[in-house]
Amino acid sequence: MTGSDRLAARAMQIAEALRTANRWIALLCGTVLLVAVALIMTEVLGRQFPAMRIGGADELSGYVMAAIATWGFSYALVERAHVRIDLIHNRLPVLGRAVLDIVALASVLLVAVLVAWHAYDVLAKSLARGSRSNTPLGVPLWMPQVVWFGGWAWMVVTSGLLLGLTVFLTALRRFELVEQIASIPVETGEVE
Amino acid sequence: MIWYVSIGLAVLLALSVPVGAALFILGFGLDQFFSQMPLMRGLGQMVYSSSDSFLLIAIPLFVLLGEILVRAGIAERTYATLDTWFSWLPGGLVHANIGTATMFSATSGSSVATAATVATVAMPQARKQGYDQRLFAGAIAAGGALGILLPPSINLIVYGFLTQTSVPQLFMAGIVPGLLMALGFMIITAVICTIKPEWGGPSRSFTWAERMAGLPHLIPVLMVFAIIIGSIYTGWATPTEAAAIGVVMALGIAAFYGAVTWANMRAALLGTIRTTSMVMFVIVGAYFLNFALGATGLNRALSGFLEGFGLGPYGMLMIIVLMYIVLGFFIETLALMIATIPIVVPIVIGLGFDKVWFGILLIVLIEMALITPPVGLNLYVVQGARKEGRLSDVMVGAIPFVFVMLVMVGLLIAFPSIALLFAPG
Repeated sequence: MTGSDRLAARAMQIAEALRTANRWIALLCGTVLLVAVALIMTEVLGRQFPAMRIGGADELSGYVMAAIATWGFSYALVERAHVRIDLIHNRLPVLGRAVLDIVALASVLLVAVLVAWHAYDVLAKSLARGSRSNTPLGVPLWMPQVVWFGGWAWMVVTSGLLLGLTVFLTALRRFELVEQIASIPVETGEVE
Repeated sequence: MIWYVSIGLAVLLALSVPVGAALFILGFGLDQFFSQMPLMRGLGQMVYSSSDSFLLIAIPLFVLLGEILVRAGIAERTYATLDTWFSWLPGGLVHANIGTATMFSATSGSSVATAATVATVAMPQARKQGYDQRLFAGAIAAGGALGILLPPSINLIVYGFLTQTSVPQLFMAGIVPGLLMALGFMIITAVICTIKPEWGGPSRSFTWAERMAGLPHLIPVLMVFAIIIGSIYTGWATPTEAAAIGVVMALGIAAFYGAVTWANMRAALLGTIRTTSMVMFVIVGAYFLNFALGATGLNRALSGFLEGFGLGPYGMLMIIVLMYIVLGFFIETLALMIATIPIVVPIVIGLGFDKVWFGILLIVLIEMALITPPVGLNLYVVQGARKEGRLSDVMVGAIPFVFVMLVMVGLLIAFPSIALLFAPG
């Protein structure tokens, strides 16, 4: 094993760890989604059996949606599930493809940084004003917003790390590994 | 500014920048170069309000519902049953492909998932019984496309969300065109296979006892569909509530077939989060771009630009239809739909067309994009499940069905009531 092999292997270990972490997050998101199903069901059944009614299912489900979609972005990123057009990509040699993969990840990182930055503003304002939702529940808005902001911040971490690893592996000219972590997957019928 | 947006979008997409990120970046650019107001200050609030949504959580719920049913083996049982009912027709099993895709569309909100599911179940049968695989595979790709027209439909939810159109109305409006199209698919299959029997495969007959024996397997899917649509139609439940009821029913059905295992649930939940996040990233990006376009007045500029041609409403509509057909060759469908809605829908409404009706027309056009090469996701999905032969076989096989879709587009324009008949006002 040469020094560069060892470095590449280390990079792949980090990528694998990132993937595992995101898979656990996605499973947690899925579980929370099931909780939302239960909550919505109490609302539906509550129309027949008022005793079951908890109230606020719609509001709380909205918070769940904001949380799972945002935290899921990173999972979709490591699973290479975000929609990309491969019209030019799949006609390029490996180096060209790696460069486009880097551009793609850099653009995701840019979006994540800018949104996270402004998401923090929204959160900070809610905290400073002590804003509450305009509903019977009167939820302090910082609670759902801190989870939502966290999702974008995690997206900065995930896309930043992936970008770093992709640049690193490209510099080592290990294009088969770049493909594994950052390329557009070939359609196999297993997507979705 | 019109050129900035269209060329910018084309360049970013060609560079294979993820679609959601491309939409965001266009929005950032509008803020930098064209806006008097600092749009970025609204960025956080825009992104938050597009994610915190009781309507949009219907998307993961419908995806989850489909994921659970697939793993309960519903598609296999439906296919075997429809085989006994339809295989005497000219074209044999091809009708079972269309029928299974139609049934599955009625519980799944996604075309790709529908095509993938039916292809996995059906393609081995094509080999076993010596079918010409072109028409066989084309029918799966086309049948799968029904997934986004027959309710529940993720694409209709997205359309409703971005254009503030009633999702229950959109769902109801999708039923008749969806069923008509399934019927059209079967008719054209029967016609082709009567003229050229070698394009199909052996017709087989089953006894009535065999046919009846399979019927109970159709009950779960029909029941899920009836309850989802019934509860929405009567106004008893919102789309999101209906989706939650559907998930609970799907869990019950899966439990009945002994399919609620840890491995199945894990796979279903992961698949749901992946699909949802993929869709949501594009939606959130489109929502921000929509806001930026509105704030910079591009929507108005574009409408003015187009009205300058003096083509009249139907002339303009033709241009829009043609644009979707052409773009549909090249652009992935979800991206095509979401990225164009903020620009196209205000124009169409301005021309005096109905929002619900246009939603249905748009979906049929998007379905066409799903099965037209070179970029037609369903073609790839079916080919992926086929694991033999060439992609071009599927493309050729899909052509007759593209023709049916074109007829449907014509019918919808000539007779809008096809869509609006059952859409309560």
